[in-house]
Amino acid sequence: MSDFGMSSDELEQMYQEVILEASKNPHGKEHFAPDAAVEPTGGVDSAQSVVRASHEYCTPGESHQFNPTCGDEATVHVEISDEEPHIIKRLVWDGHGCSISQASLSVMVDLVNGASVDEAMDLEHIFHQLMQSRGAGLDNEALEDRLGDAVAFQGVSKYPMRIKCALLGWEGLKDSIAKALAAKES
Amino acid sequence: MAKMIDFDKIRAEFPILDQQVHGHPLVYLDSAATAQKPQCVIDAEAEFYRTINAGVHRGAHELAARATMAFEDGRAKVARLVGANAAEGEEELVVTAGATAGLNLLATAFGNASLGRGGQAAKRFALQPGDEIVVSRAEHHSVLLPFQELAYRTGATFKWLDLTEDGRVRTDNLDEVITERTKVVAVTHVGNTTGAITDIAPIIARAHAVGALFILDACQSVPHLKVDFHALDVDFAAFSAHKMYGPTGVGFLYGKRELLEALPPANFGGSMVELAYMDQEAQYMAPPARFEAGTQPVAQVVAAGVAAEWMMNIGLDAIEEHERGIAAELLKLGDIDGIRILGPRENVNRIGTVAFDVAGVHPHDVGQYIDAQGIAIRVGHHCAQPIHRHFGLYASNRASSGVYNTVEDAQALVEAAKGIRKFFGA
Repeated sequence: MSDFGMSSDELEQMYQEVILEASKNPHGKEHFAPDAAVEPTGGVDSAQSVVRASHEYCTPGESHQFNPTCGDEATVHVEISDEEPHIIKRLVWDGHGCSISQASLSVMVDLVNGASVDEAMDLEHIFHQLMQSRGAGLDNEALEDRLGDAVAFQGVSKYPMRIKCALLGWEGLKDSIAKALAAKES
Repeated sequence: MAKMIDFDKIRAEFPILDQQVHGHPLVYLDSAATAQKPQCVIDAEAEFYRTINAGVHRGAHELAARATMAFEDGRAKVARLVGANAAEGEEELVVTAGATAGLNLLATAFGNASLGRGGQAAKRFALQPGDEIVVSRAEHHSVLLPFQELAYRTGATFKWLDLTEDGRVRTDNLDEVITERTKVVAVTHVGNTTGAITDIAPIIARAHAVGALFILDACQSVPHLKVDFHALDVDFAAFSAHKMYGPTGVGFLYGKRELLEALPPANFGGSMVELAYMDQEAQYMAPPARFEAGTQPVAQVVAAGVAAEWMMNIGLDAIEEHERGIAAELLKLGDIDGIRILGPRENVNRIGTVAFDVAGVHPHDVGQYIDAQGIAIRVGHHCAQPIHRHFGLYASNRASSGVYNTVEDAQALVEAAKGIRKFFGA
């Protein structure tokens, strides 16, 4: 039984050191959003269970992302400059989840905080492509360079069940930027 | 008294278990999600298509007659497994697409009765504002949601029995929760997260004392325990075939015959109606046909009958005893530093379904780590979010036994689990 208790190569390919590290001390994580794992109403005495709409608390530059299969949640909060080109002045998030989702949010903050909105959307697109590569990677050094630490998620792209974990924060980024821009136009 | 059974031989009847996953022999500990199938069940479904296939209860040709007999024989075998009537004209099992479909059928039928359908006989199922529906916090979403929606539709009040610290349904305050206004009580026989066997006798007694109907979710009990719906005196019960070594896509709704006869239909279509008109109300067939609209999963019912017979040949006592040994090993997960069992820690009044939390490691990461060693467990909320909130969690890890598991399977998981927190640095 010597095999048991040891991690296989596959496992180490997925859980790169960068990912395990970032998941333990994620960047940009602050506490400002409610938590789905907490009971929303009182116990047995409440006549009806009240389900809180998960997005009620979101401000214009915020997006709440939720993965119902595992309960991972991320609320991404973005502030962008008024003048064009729009710059991401502040990017923070709140949530909880597996090491893949937490690490991906952390790496995303490092990559796009302070960047222009256009650059952030480009990176989101490139990262999406990486996650759709089924483990093959992008086969494009220039693009991989732009992704920096986020290329560590290449191993995750082999696992269809985990791709959503890696994309959770990036979906939140895309949506929160769209909301922030829409709020400026209105 | 349990017979002496060779469980190694039984395991060998499951071809799927004879394979490697990620370079390790497959260890399947996810039977609470779906059980694997013995060769006889796989063969029964294929054989039906090879030799008999035809629609049932329609057509006059030879294959249609044989198919109908095989279908009703399948129903009868399953009925024998769970202590239900199957004699012609007294059938108490309705074929459904699964337990979820059965529970929705029931809730929809109660809703129809609440709208006045089914006439005077169906009044006993009708709900209105002021009436109460009671479930437990341990319910699977397939019990919680159909009856919660029924409460919203009818204006009835939705209430629930709470849980003890280790996730058992509390029975110390039944008189407070189940009252003279309670019309429906729906509770699980075995918690799909905790593996805890509910002490249902006092709940059923209290429900009947106030004139309420009692509905049992038997999904997690029928595959593992001797279940007799007549002896339990439940009014309705639902379970699925795929968790009891049968095929997917089919389940059964049990109802006491007199109740099924009074219950209005929920699904409408072919082969459930005696007389249909353009300008008059239809006259519906007697149960179970009244609830079996459309073409039925015939091959699956036949194979479910084979699965039921296969289980009875082993003997439910022997199955229960064998799995109790697996449960004892799985519960050793709780001895590992940082691992908490969610549910009863003692191997008493529980089955071999053991949920656990690993401190500092998310269930998805646990599942990935365990899977890399060829071991299949379930991670997530197991379609039971409220009980996870009870434990202060959103999701957990769950190992669950089947008749084919060995003590070594459980030991492999326990050994593997010892490395989880180290790997993730928790």
